[in-house]
Amino acid sequence: MNNSDNSSSNVTRRNFLKGLGVAGLWMSHSELFALAAQAATVKRIAGKDKILVVVQLSGGNDGLNTVVPYGIGSYYDARPQIGIKPNEVLALNGQLGLNPSMTGLAQLFKKGKLAVIQAVGYPNANRSHFRSIEIWQTGCPDKIRDTGWLGRYLDLSSSGNNFANNLLAAVNVDPVLPKTLSANKVIVPSVASVEDFRFKVDPDYPQDRGSQISAFEDIYANFNLRRPYVDLLRKVGLEANKASDNLLAVTKNYRSSVDYPETEFARGLKFISQMITGGVNSKIYNISLNGFDTHVNQARTQSRLLKNLSEGLASFQADIEAHGVADDVVVMVFSEFGRRVAENNGRGTDHGTAEPMFVLGNAVHGGIYGDHPSLTNLDNGDLRHKIDFRSVYASVLDRWLKADSQAILGNKFDQLPFV
Amino acid sequence: MVTKNIWISHLLRRAGFGCTPKELHHFSKLGYEAAVDELIYPDTVDNSALDRVIGSQDFDFTQIDDLRRWWLYRMTFTKRPLEEKMTLFWHGHFATGDNKVRNAYNMYLQNLLLRKHALGNFQDLLMGITRDPAMIVYLDNQQNRRGKPNENYAREVMELFTMGIGNYSERDVKEAARAFTGWHTRQASFFFNTRQHDYGDKNVLGVHGDLDGSDVVRILAARPSTARYLAKKLITFFAYDNPDPQVVEEIASVYVMSKFKIKPMLKAIFKHPTFLSEKAYHAKVKSPVELVVGTLKHLEMQNLDADLPTMMSRMGQNIFNPPSVKGWDGGAAWVSTDSMMERFNFAARATAQKFDELHYYASPSELVYKQNIRNAGQLVDYFLNLLVEGDVPPETRRRLITYVSSDLTGKQVSALADDRTLDAKLRGLVHLIMTSPAYQLA
Repeated sequence: MNNSDNSSSNVTRRNFLKGLGVAGLWMSHSELFALAAQAATVKRIAGKDKILVVVQLSGGNDGLNTVVPYGIGSYYDARPQIGIKPNEVLALNGQLGLNPSMTGLAQLFKKGKLAVIQAVGYPNANRSHFRSIEIWQTGCPDKIRDTGWLGRYLDLSSSGNNFANNLLAAVNVDPVLPKTLSANKVIVPSVASVEDFRFKVDPDYPQDRGSQISAFEDIYANFNLRRPYVDLLRKVGLEANKASDNLLAVTKNYRSSVDYPETEFARGLKFISQMITGGVNSKIYNISLNGFDTHVNQARTQSRLLKNLSEGLASFQADIEAHGVADDVVVMVFSEFGRRVAENNGRGTDHGTAEPMFVLGNAVHGGIYGDHPSLTNLDNGDLRHKIDFRSVYASVLDRWLKADSQAILGNKFDQLPFV
Repeated sequence: MVTKNIWISHLLRRAGFGCTPKELHHFSKLGYEAAVDELIYPDTVDNSALDRVIGSQDFDFTQIDDLRRWWLYRMTFTKRPLEEKMTLFWHGHFATGDNKVRNAYNMYLQNLLLRKHALGNFQDLLMGITRDPAMIVYLDNQQNRRGKPNENYAREVMELFTMGIGNYSERDVKEAARAFTGWHTRQASFFFNTRQHDYGDKNVLGVHGDLDGSDVVRILAARPSTARYLAKKLITFFAYDNPDPQVVEEIASVYVMSKFKIKPMLKAIFKHPTFLSEKAYHAKVKSPVELVVGTLKHLEMQNLDADLPTMMSRMGQNIFNPPSVKGWDGGAAWVSTDSMMERFNFAARATAQKFDELHYYASPSELVYKQNIRNAGQLVDYFLNLLVEGDVPPETRRRLITYVSSDLTGKQVSALADDRTLDAKLRGLVHLIMTSPAYQLA
């Protein structure tokens, strides 16, 4: 992480808090709670807002064994041991097929709800997990930025004079906030489960709870101590309590007839569905699935993960369809890089470059976008990308979220008509 | 009294995990300079009491949960706090996770290696870690073979363990990977698989020849970029974020001059004028390990047998399972709504008399029993000094006094009705201080 960026983001946070004070918006906490409760009781109106769910596959997913070019002979030359056989793939057309563990997504492709975008990447690909994920999260390959591409979207779409509208502008379902959602004006809560997300007190003295919460709020509201992390701790600490009450209120009436798989990833998706159907007004949700760094014995690990991904997303899609909100939701799946074309000696693959992306939803124009990258004309053993990832971002921003992609990405990028 | 000790408390929070009142007394009597020396030369300190505690516990080192509790005991009861703190630093630096290694005993061996070299020579440590069975599995060097190199270790050793990104080329990664071919593991030890080693010519960072793994370790340990990378990481870990380049250069040159020794760098950091300044004081966020172990010490809690490692994990720090090979980012990354709520709820558990069927942890009334406390103000000051060295705005102190002078219905009273109310209020008071922003600061 870059230092000057770190300090500048702290300064921005301080300025933000100061700005709120001047505008008279740093309201008392009882007012804030009233607003949260109010926001919690408003049912979301179908068609009102478009929602984006971002799925990050961490570790670098091997694209060639996800969308398998089974019709291209050189695929099997590069992968004599781990290549997936033509009779095993879930064919999308005469050349491409999905990994056999992805039956759920294959069905959604048949229904025209899944777009597969091929050979996505960026110039001068970085093969470091940490730098490359940062590039994807910030939408900026050329320099280090302290805000994420969706963080900048949230900043631009937040209505500065109405704090209530910015409550839960986005929700991250992972323990750690990804840079994707790091913003200047909006703090995005990270919530792994509603049940544990409660302010607890000594169960022997439950009658003291009110006194403690009121003291807690007063202490946080007036904690003016000039130390570097104090503003951040105050803001996030208050947000935690506020979001806890709000989320509990909106999720308690959720019922679902869909059976999700018993995985952490599927539980996260179910929680997102709970929030969407319960009336949380977030426009962005973030979730990740980890473990794709398959240098060794790739097949077993990757097929388990892709099964988890595919079954989770299929359940999620069925659930939001059953709740009648599926027209408002689009899911986008990415990873920090694809992997080397040739397999290594451990039945695995090393860090590579371009990869396929998935976009899923009722509003999505399903199909395959872009040409398959050459498997023989390589850059140092790696695929040459054909579509810049910022083109995909720009299409989602302009065409789905009705935002200004140029302001967010700093440049104009070609649009793809998948949505 | 408080101001005199803040730099000793500050030092013990950074070079250790906070302190019990008894430890604070011991180090205060030594004075700052001698306190630094005692921390930096752990071999001079008798640690047999810790050995007895550990011996009485009958840990099974093939079980990862036992391993976590074992380390928590070490961090809590050691008389050599810097040795454990540096072991934790290296665990985050050479991050290795049991989720992939799947062998608790090898994780245990790695932890012993990190502790052995924690305050030694970086080149020796890097050599040890390159030959470490858990690391060889974690970064796939077991699959790194002649003619079919696996680049994982070669890349991360340059990007994360030594020089940092931008100081090497993709070609250096590929060539170094060849030098590490055949560096395998067998039966919990290092095994040089000569048949899988590539004896051909290589060129790593401008050095030519039939290089093997030890050559690459020596090349990397001696790079100026490694000196800067380690210096910056140590200053950030122990002192404050975003150190000035000239301070980084100062500490980096200590590394170079001492031929890669770790102790002189730490000494230079702890004695640096900026370490004893507002720039460093309460300027970092406690890691979950610091928060939990510090609480055990401050409140002299005896009951460690609960799921404390699980709580640390829920706050974002699962020891023996860092989130990735990059370790824990620290700083602002510790602060999310979810992890803050977990910190609040840890405070609730630590102060509650009974919680989820567990026996009590802390007993605040026992702590104040021998203090000569006459009123609510003195009571609040006692715990503010114990827990946060009194470093809170005046409004916080006033609000806490209001809280302890009210009964369980919230009504202001001139005296608390009974012992039960007093106990509730003392627990509530410690809970509130522990949930405040001040207590999250290191």
